[in-house]
Amino acid sequence: MAVRGVRRGLESTVTSERDDDTRRLEALALYEIMDTPPEPEFDDIVLLASELCQTPVAMVSLLETERQWFKARIGFDLPETPISQSVCAHALKSTGLLIIPDLTADPRTSENRLVTEPPHIRFYAGAPLIAPDGVTIGTLCVIDSQVRPEGLSLTQKKSLLALARQVVVLLEMRRNSSRKDDLFRRQKRISSEVRAIAASSIAAQEAGGIGTFDIDVATGRMKISAEGCRIFRLPVQDEYPANIIYDFILAEDRHLPSADKTRAEGTALLEAEYRISTPSEGVRWIARRASFHHDSDGRPVRMVGTLQDITEQRAAQARMQAMIELGDVLRDMEDVQQAAFDAAELMARALGASRAGFGMVDPVAETVLMHRDWRAPGVDTLEGLHHFRDYGSFIEDLRRGETVLIGDVTTDPRTRDHCQTLLDIGIRVLVNVPIFDKGQFNLVVFVHYDEPHDWKQREIDFVRSVGDRLQAGIGRLLAEQDQDILNRELSHRLKNTLSIVQAIATQTLRAVPDRGPIESFEKRLQALSSAHDVLIHRNWTGAAISDLVTDTLDRIGMLERAQISGPAIFIGPKATQSVMLLLHELATNAVKYGGLSNGSGKVRVSWDVAGSVDQVQLTFTWKESGGPPVTEPTQRGFGSRLIRMGLLGTGNVDIRYEATGIEVVMRASLSHLQEAG
Amino acid sequence: MGQSQMFARPAVLVVEDEPLLRMMAVDLVEDAGFEAIEAANADEAIKILECRSDIRVVFTDIDMPGSMDGLLLAAAVRDRWPPIEIILTSGHVHISEVEVPLGGVFFSKPYDHSALTQTLQSMATIEGH
Repeated sequence: MAVRGVRRGLESTVTSERDDDTRRLEALALYEIMDTPPEPEFDDIVLLASELCQTPVAMVSLLETERQWFKARIGFDLPETPISQSVCAHALKSTGLLIIPDLTADPRTSENRLVTEPPHIRFYAGAPLIAPDGVTIGTLCVIDSQVRPEGLSLTQKKSLLALARQVVVLLEMRRNSSRKDDLFRRQKRISSEVRAIAASSIAAQEAGGIGTFDIDVATGRMKISAEGCRIFRLPVQDEYPANIIYDFILAEDRHLPSADKTRAEGTALLEAEYRISTPSEGVRWIARRASFHHDSDGRPVRMVGTLQDITEQRAAQARMQAMIELGDVLRDMEDVQQAAFDAAELMARALGASRAGFGMVDPVAETVLMHRDWRAPGVDTLEGLHHFRDYGSFIEDLRRGETVLIGDVTTDPRTRDHCQTLLDIGIRVLVNVPIFDKGQFNLVVFVHYDEPHDWKQREIDFVRSVGDRLQAGIGRLLAEQDQDILNRELSHRLKNTLSIVQAIATQTLRAVPDRGPIESFEKRLQALSSAHDVLIHRNWTGAAISDLVTDTLDRIGMLERAQISGPAIFIGPKATQSVMLLLHELATNAVKYGGLSNGSGKVRVSWDVAGSVDQVQLTFTWKESGGPPVTEPTQRGFGSRLIRMGLLGTGNVDIRYEATGIEVVMRASLSHLQEAG
Repeated sequence: MGQSQMFARPAVLVVEDEPLLRMMAVDLVEDAGFEAIEAANADEAIKILECRSDIRVVFTDIDMPGSMDGLLLAAAVRDRWPPIEIILTSGHVHISEVEVPLGGVFFSKPYDHSALTQTLQSMATIEGH
């Protein structure tokens, strides 16, 4: 009945759904966004979302009728998927977040091909993109390849919703500015004010650090804006030979800029990023975008474009990337030392450092045993035992749990008296992040530079943030390891206790001539113990119904006579124990009196879920056939009482004694079954 | 002593440090038709094995105090008395984590009495052939 009610409910919403579809398609068309190339503003948002939520995948997903298309994506290969594979489609109806901690356990997604086949996605959280007129056009979503029972933290939820609003703001801005571009182009053709507008536009570009250039292909002369000159560290003048940049470009990037030949042929790269060496600021990254103007014969005559110093952006990207990778390292780590090494390497690469690694600390002896370290080419290792006091007094700060950042060992009061010792081993700049285990300072992660380094506040923030996250991550890992040991110890004790209960019962009832009850008792204890095994294997988070059914029938040697079917559904630890006992009773009864008591009978075990999102109900059916004729028992033993209590101990059980065999149908709320405690 | 070998029941060495569990195991072994010999730890079991030649099966707990646990005992039995059958039991470890010696059988605690009885009897039968 419940199922039919739900279906009827769906039908009645079909009309309004179609309206929603139309309105959504109209809204998407107005944004002129579908199938446009990637844009950095949107890319940044998915990067942030993935970083904030610690997921490998984040996407801006826009939904048409037949497909979802991704305006921006990180960690996901496909540019679009059919709507049938869209988890986001389920998020459209809501104004809040949709969070599915385990996609395999949710009836809406358990059959989704992205779940059942590679990439095997497991966790989903999506925030709706709601246009100003109230239409939801898609989602900003994050996806993990691992189940996340804990979902998202409050901060993550808030941030994801805020970023989703940001996506809509960007879409609105984009729509407005593309209108302005149209106007601009038309004006340019008809108006004499072009110059003024262009000038103001150039001023705006220069404020943003963008230079412009215009190369005459025939002469190789380059007109270059003042900002363009500054980017190349050239004295400001209107014109330079285009090839002057070869004077400072790094040898390994020389193939990237345009040359006389590639300009004449029109084959020069239109977008290039290359490095130049500057006298005062070291190596800088330059981004150059260009286009060709052709004569009436189609030959390139001018190459015009923009220049930008992107060193800071690249560094910021590298740091962001490192943060994202650190998230992966911390999430996947199983070994503290490996995680410490990986984190140190990430930090060193993002910061352009010369050496990074970690050491095990003896806080009493004030020594650190350095393990293998990551090093830039030509830098020596520090492996081996070192005394903190040989290098200064910064151990005091480490003991207090503070990240130590020494910008220059020759001037910092903590190290200047020992600076020669540090300089001798290639340390000019030093970063130490202390890690504590059970309140004890026992591990230090370090980053070194052999040259002075001009620290930007953002880099310092980055180091502290990596340090904090590493501390928290390793702390969590150590706590999990403790918990794992504790779980195993508890399991051991419980199983020993069950064994002793079994022994006492065996001894106590030794004189009883009827062995039946004592055997039943013993087997129930084993069912309970099996439930425990299944649970401990999943770290006490719950169990798959199919595992419980298979385990029970296997234990009585009747697996091949059972037909088992149902979706992959997990239930919580509490329900696992009662369901296991229940299954044991059903199986025992079948073997004693029912479908499994002769050589030919069978049992069909199936389960399914139905109902609305917040009231999903599980229906579990045990149906025997081919056994001797059954009748309702006159006496109710423990077993049949247990069966009548149902999946959650609250009834809702239909038992039918059909001529062909017993049929038991039990129902319970899925969310109650999945409760942890 | 006075009894003829012909009528002697096959002997099973039960090694278990927990007295109640040992008592239950001894009953089980005797009910299955064997002579049960008890040891409270692996060292005691080794001493018994060194002076008796009629033991067919060693039925041992894995988690025991002393210089040897049940796995080490099983390895020693396999090494020094290869014909003796081995049954291991534990509440601590799961079968997937145990390296059961060649020909050995593992039962998770609390164990199924009838299944264990059957295993004991089939081991003794195979041994008898």
